[in-house]
Amino acid sequence: MAKRRPRLLPVLLVTPALVLLALFTIAPAGYALYLSLMKVRVSGGLLGTTTTQVFAGAGNYVATFTDPEFWHSLGRMLLVAVVGVPATVILATLFALCLDANRARLTTVTRLAIFLPYAVPGVIASLLWGFLYLPATSPIGGEVINYFGGRTIFFTVANVAVWGVVGFNTVVLYTALRALPRDTVEAAQIDGASEAQIALRIKLPLIAPAIAMISLFSVIGALQLFNEPTALRPLANAITSTWVPLMRVYSDAFVNNDIYGGAASAFTLLVMTVTATVLVRVLANQLTRRERG
Amino acid sequence: MARRSGRSALRTAAAAAATLTAATLAVAGCSSSGSSSSASSSGSHQVVHLTITDWDNGMQTVVNTWNKAHPDIQVQLIKPSGTGYTLYNKLITDNRAGTNPDISEVEYQALPEMVANKVIISLDKYLPGLAAKYSTAALDQVRFQGSVYGVPQNICPMVFFYRQDVFSKLGLKAPTTWDQYAADAAAIHQANPKQYLGNFDAADPEWFAGLAQQAGANWWTTSGDKWTVAIDDAATQKVAAYWQGLVNKGVISPEPSFSTQWNTDMNNGTMVGWVSAQWAPNQLPTIAPSTAGKWQAAALPAWTAGDQAVGTWGGEAEVVTANSKHPAQAAQFVQWMNSTTQGLNLLIKNVDAFPAATFAQALPALSSPPAFMSDQPDYYALMKTIAQNVRGFQIWGPNASVTFSSYSDAFASALQNHTSFAQALNKVQTTTVNDMQKSGFQVAG
Repeated sequence: MAKRRPRLLPVLLVTPALVLLALFTIAPAGYALYLSLMKVRVSGGLLGTTTTQVFAGAGNYVATFTDPEFWHSLGRMLLVAVVGVPATVILATLFALCLDANRARLTTVTRLAIFLPYAVPGVIASLLWGFLYLPATSPIGGEVINYFGGRTIFFTVANVAVWGVVGFNTVVLYTALRALPRDTVEAAQIDGASEAQIALRIKLPLIAPAIAMISLFSVIGALQLFNEPTALRPLANAITSTWVPLMRVYSDAFVNNDIYGGAASAFTLLVMTVTATVLVRVLANQLTRRERG
Repeated sequence: MARRSGRSALRTAAAAAATLTAATLAVAGCSSSGSSSSASSSGSHQVVHLTITDWDNGMQTVVNTWNKAHPDIQVQLIKPSGTGYTLYNKLITDNRAGTNPDISEVEYQALPEMVANKVIISLDKYLPGLAAKYSTAALDQVRFQGSVYGVPQNICPMVFFYRQDVFSKLGLKAPTTWDQYAADAAAIHQANPKQYLGNFDAADPEWFAGLAQQAGANWWTTSGDKWTVAIDDAATQKVAAYWQGLVNKGVISPEPSFSTQWNTDMNNGTMVGWVSAQWAPNQLPTIAPSTAGKWQAAALPAWTAGDQAVGTWGGEAEVVTANSKHPAQAAQFVQWMNSTTQGLNLLIKNVDAFPAATFAQALPALSSPPAFMSDQPDYYALMKTIAQNVRGFQIWGPNASVTFSSYSDAFASALQNHTSFAQALNKVQTTTVNDMQKSGFQVAG
């Protein structure tokens, strides 16, 4: 009895997380994998009212990989990410360092103001921004600047996403900054370092792990880009139903009524997301280690 | 009427689905007796509860009137979370879960797809006398392989709407040919570079399909169990090339109909014409309220002067779903609403429907114009004339949703990137054929 308890407790502690993971992440992913290997064949007359689900092998995956539109959608997502991820990380770092500066005042109010957009649902934010962009309603020069142009559209979409998440990331970094040992900063001050030097040479390296973490989240967020372009789509011709990979998955499964093809693209995307996550983590770890060493 | 107010596809409908499940589970017993169309009154006096999804404004009055007269069959109206294809895709998905409402509104072009996916049932055994009330043309929209799958509600021929005040100021008359339309578009844009006579709608494939029908296109034809797909046929290419010319000259706006930008332009007088359909007076009060009294309706311009053929944009049937536990009662309601004098009078008054049933086109309710067109007393007389020359495809494809979503993508991209409409059309054709072949439909050629 006395021996068993320490063995059981750790298992009990992780059980809720494991059960939830199994039920709501692994099981659906497994079902998606199963669906992605099937396809439907119709028979029975003109309208094919007899449908049978048959094994498709790798057919759906071949179709995904050979569809140029899949790669285009991936490319567009990367372009938005290239604009959005650095903007998010740099702005969040900048805001957090400013808020943490000794001479900063009204930090509570400012922090709340920066955080506020995060509380606005993505779809609503996209619609709000949509009205700001449209020539008919734009107060920010929509008459002159075409926010829905071939190139500008990437900035247009990235801007909505960045606006929404910068606040959250700022708060994460600010918390990391507040948790730094004050004596380090004070020591730098006594050594005569300026506010800017302290920020860039002392604080920044110390919160590097936190920055790595928000970068990781931003990259994952970019891979999951869906709300913003979907909500902006009805406003103009710039965004198609397959503009980014997740939109393509949705369109396949629920518009084109091909749940199998959609599952294959979704599973492909899942693998890509996991790979990207691992890659970013490894990279970030190495960077952090190098800076420490 | 019968139009979508946008295509925001993402409003969740979990709540609606939950209501539907509860409603369909609520009543058991009164099982349909098969051949009888009035099973409700036989035997047990349990009340049958039915649900109907319909997005048209004014439907609640229609349903209320029925409920008052039929205490045994109570119908509950559910506004769908999305219209058009948002609804059809949901019907197909929910059909697998068994949670569909008993009755739904479905536009004609989506019916073959609903039949192919076994979302709706044949009404032959419940409504044997239905065919007599409709013209062959109307019946062909709901009859597949000899079975009727829905009760036609209305027909929506395409109609040209224009701002009378702007036209008379420039000394223009409603264009009767597309050549004249092009000339007018140029004249209007030249007189005021901010103004456009119309828009090319890349977001709404049914609009383009209607224009192709007028030009004589026949996108889907069948022989036996074999399909022929001709979305890029010569007639359609002609229509595409015509509009590409107008877009390239910059005399037509590329903004999709019902988009925020277009709504604003319609309301502030930037957009002074609309290639639309019979239901427009039902929509214009919300699109362009400040232009009331300034619009006139005219027959759609023709390709050759005097040709009166037009295509349709919209128009729907009411169907009974395969999930319904009370198909007989559902069919009874659907028939009452769409093919009896009482039901159709209610639809005309409350929903601005132009009835598909032949007898109903002579109803006195149609003698006064819809409120928005009060300056045009002969509005419905004009509709009656136009409706006689409706030209359609032989049948809509069993995967029309793929065709339509491909249209939106291909033509939106063509507008955005200034590439050729002809190429976009080829893409729609290829996508459609590939999808049909992948599913196992027999496609010729």
